[in-house]
Amino acid sequence: MSKQLGFLHNSEKCIGCRGCEMACKNEYQSDASVRWRQVYQLREKDFSQPTRMFISIACNHCENPECLRVCPVKAYTKREDGIVVHDQDRCIGCKLCTMACPYDRPQFNAILKKVEKCNLCYERLDQGQQPACVAACVPEALELVEINEELDLKVGVLKTLPGMPNPSVTNPSIRFIGPKQGKQIRRDV
Amino acid sequence: MKITRRQFIGGTAAITAGAGLFGFNMLAKSDVANAASNQTGVKTFRNVCPRNCYDTCAQISYVEEGVLKKVEGDPKSTYTNGKLCLKGYNYTRRVYSPDRIKYPMKQTPRGSGNWERISWDEAMNTIAEKILDLKQRYGSTLPVCLDKYSGNFGITHYGIEGTLSSIGYTTRAVGTPCWPAGIDSQTYDFGTIFNNDPEDFANANYIILWGSNCAWTGVHSLPFIMKAKERGAKLVVIDPILTSTASKADLFIQIKNSTDGALALGMARYILDNDLVDWDYVNANSIGFEEWADYVKKNITLDWAAEKTGIPKDVIIQIAHEYATAKPASMWVGYGMQRHTNGGQNVRIIDALGLMTGNIGKSGGGVNYAHLETWGFNYHAMVMPAPEGSVGMPGPDGTYTNRSVNMNNFAGDVQALTDPPVKMLWLACRNPVSQDPDTNDIIKMFNSMELVVTVDSFFNKTVELSDIVLPATTHFEDWDVMASYWHYWVGINQRAIDPMYESKSDVEIAMALSKAMNALEPGSCTYPTEGDPEEWTAKEFNDGVFNMLGISDYKELLDGPRKAKFSPAAWADGNFRTPSKKFEVHSERAAQNGLPAIPIWVEEMKAPNQYPIRFMTPHPQHGLHSQFQNLDWMMAANPEPLLEIHPKLAAEHGIGEGDMVRVYNDLGEVTIKARLTETTSPDVIVSYEAWYKDSKFNVNFTVKAIPADMGKQATGMDGIAFHDNFVAIEKA
Repeated sequence: MSKQLGFLHNSEKCIGCRGCEMACKNEYQSDASVRWRQVYQLREKDFSQPTRMFISIACNHCENPECLRVCPVKAYTKREDGIVVHDQDRCIGCKLCTMACPYDRPQFNAILKKVEKCNLCYERLDQGQQPACVAACVPEALELVEINEELDLKVGVLKTLPGMPNPSVTNPSIRFIGPKQGKQIRRDV
Repeated sequence: MKITRRQFIGGTAAITAGAGLFGFNMLAKSDVANAASNQTGVKTFRNVCPRNCYDTCAQISYVEEGVLKKVEGDPKSTYTNGKLCLKGYNYTRRVYSPDRIKYPMKQTPRGSGNWERISWDEAMNTIAEKILDLKQRYGSTLPVCLDKYSGNFGITHYGIEGTLSSIGYTTRAVGTPCWPAGIDSQTYDFGTIFNNDPEDFANANYIILWGSNCAWTGVHSLPFIMKAKERGAKLVVIDPILTSTASKADLFIQIKNSTDGALALGMARYILDNDLVDWDYVNANSIGFEEWADYVKKNITLDWAAEKTGIPKDVIIQIAHEYATAKPASMWVGYGMQRHTNGGQNVRIIDALGLMTGNIGKSGGGVNYAHLETWGFNYHAMVMPAPEGSVGMPGPDGTYTNRSVNMNNFAGDVQALTDPPVKMLWLACRNPVSQDPDTNDIIKMFNSMELVVTVDSFFNKTVELSDIVLPATTHFEDWDVMASYWHYWVGINQRAIDPMYESKSDVEIAMALSKAMNALEPGSCTYPTEGDPEEWTAKEFNDGVFNMLGISDYKELLDGPRKAKFSPAAWADGNFRTPSKKFEVHSERAAQNGLPAIPIWVEEMKAPNQYPIRFMTPHPQHGLHSQFQNLDWMMAANPEPLLEIHPKLAAEHGIGEGDMVRVYNDLGEVTIKARLTETTSPDVIVSYEAWYKDSKFNVNFTVKAIPADMGKQATGMDGIAFHDNFVAIEKA
């Protein structure tokens, strides 16, 4: 593998507007039963003061993808650029990958009875475009990045956030910039 | 997979027989690589989102073999900047929803759910016969009542008003439930509403978002606010709720509802006492300031403001000092804060803060509320003469007029009319059974009608109580032109796909009704019966619009939307549009309407003892009023409504996370699932208004039609104090 593409999610900038999630659906017109990308609100109790903070998660194109490991029909492949691609023609809908993924990202299409997931818009990348979610992000909180040591050495770049599964299992290709809170004058204190 | 439009319709028809056959997945790029590489058959069109929203986004629609494949933001608008909001990305699901109303249908009896497809001819004849019957029985068409508002703000949709004008003098729901109190405030102060270009937020050194949750309701303004923040501007959010927007603030101030004016007065007192007034600006541009300054010094203290608002004195001092000295400092006054019995007055006080600090007329400044400066179209589809010999409400000079009822007390006002009574409702771009206050009274009023006709795209709560429903086109199936009440862009909306099923635009419906009316009684309707949709749109333009946009033909907009050639700072020329041509801190017009002449404090409405909890029902994230939330992607992403409740209040009532909560008062009730959160305060519960598919949820059962303090000067009627909604709760 020559490189590893992935996402950098800036929780400081993210406003949880869910534009990325719906831009993905707009691009692929995916069925209502699947959510390739999903915005999660982080738990209020994980912060020192109440807040509405979010992360946006799609397939993490892991270094060690569990989906690829458990698939009995080899529907998953990992490209040279690190993108994990799922071949729906091979898929038999056994859902093993949906159970194996720590991030719940392979999604079972209730109509097709097969799994599908984010392909990092590789065909858009090939045409020089950004992934649909990145292109749609109004506060520019979501970036396509190359996951490498240089990125990990940058100040403020985190490998996980509170509430995320332990990254050591699959080494996901996602990095975060943590949320930041301002001062609050609240009425309940 | 490629499908033609004909195949697509075949697929949708099949759903009625067997649900599994339906093919939204026919739109899907199941073969990603091939779908992407094969762009040859894709045509793009320019559209504009016509919803009642700040952003009025410029859109590009992608159409292949007559099928709308996806919708994106138009990069030619620097405001939309090539990006839509979550709602805008849902449009294919609206256009091709299996739930869409496909044909004219009639329901017998009303409310039964027993719908039957009828032809356009039958629908138009039934309606025309009823109009003519009422005209004969009552001697006028006043028993016919129109309620139209904001479902589609495209200019040709004012053809709905034209439809009713063309049959004679009718009864009209007048006013706006949304923003009138704030409009009047700024009308008294500035002469009209006129905000800075929102792209100009980037030039501010200090920004107060006063009751705006733009992360949900105007997301495209945020990048400009964040640009200012990156330059070092401080972002302050004042809101009773710790919203997604507030979570991004440098300083969030949770104010007691309806006390915004008290905070602004406290700030004004500090600014006066500490000699931070921009006297040059005030003296050159305003009248009545000394009178008001005298009032503030004699009546307002910081201790009082702190007590009233729940905000510590030192915080009031801090933001007063920062706001007065940052230069330029910008404020965005949201619409929620004026939905109170003193809401308009509170906005007037905030306006005065902008004046006294010299932040009006400045780039990076402004007390920004809204504008209508780009709306100078012909309203050709709207302006229709009454048929000869029509009788209406007698005017002073012997002419006749329509009869007005208050849109904001619609149920009560309609039922109070007896001479003649209202017997038929025409509803378009409007869903009162979902959105009006006092839902039970609205239902009672509907039940007193002989005929209810609704034009819509979905079987919503109002359609459920209608006799005839007419299928509306979406904006992708129509020509139109749209302006924004916030940004300065204007865009053309092309017909990207043919109208689905038997849907028609409001203008086409007007033409069809005119044919039916004139066939039954020649001369009974003046609406034209011919004209294609692009022609109707073309007739909305005039030289004023062309000059404003720097074009000479509407067709130039096919190359992209245009931005009005205004200064980025509203009122930069100092030409205020009040009677005195100055900013009127003392407004005789306000006094003439029975309001305080100057921006003094007016007490907020207090919670009655038996209903001590305030129930806020602000705008949702996954929808716009009763639009969008019903669509399949939205239902999957946000399947049910929630009640945000503070853990302290929940504990007092034995309510845990996920418990059902009965919210009630003397008017009605609603039961909602609890979500415990400290983002609200212990005396305020929150649930976001919306229409969920297959759900009885409606936040308006407990809302009384209590008027806000202002609105009648500019919009004809006072607003609604939607957020003065007091309830009790119990575990259901």
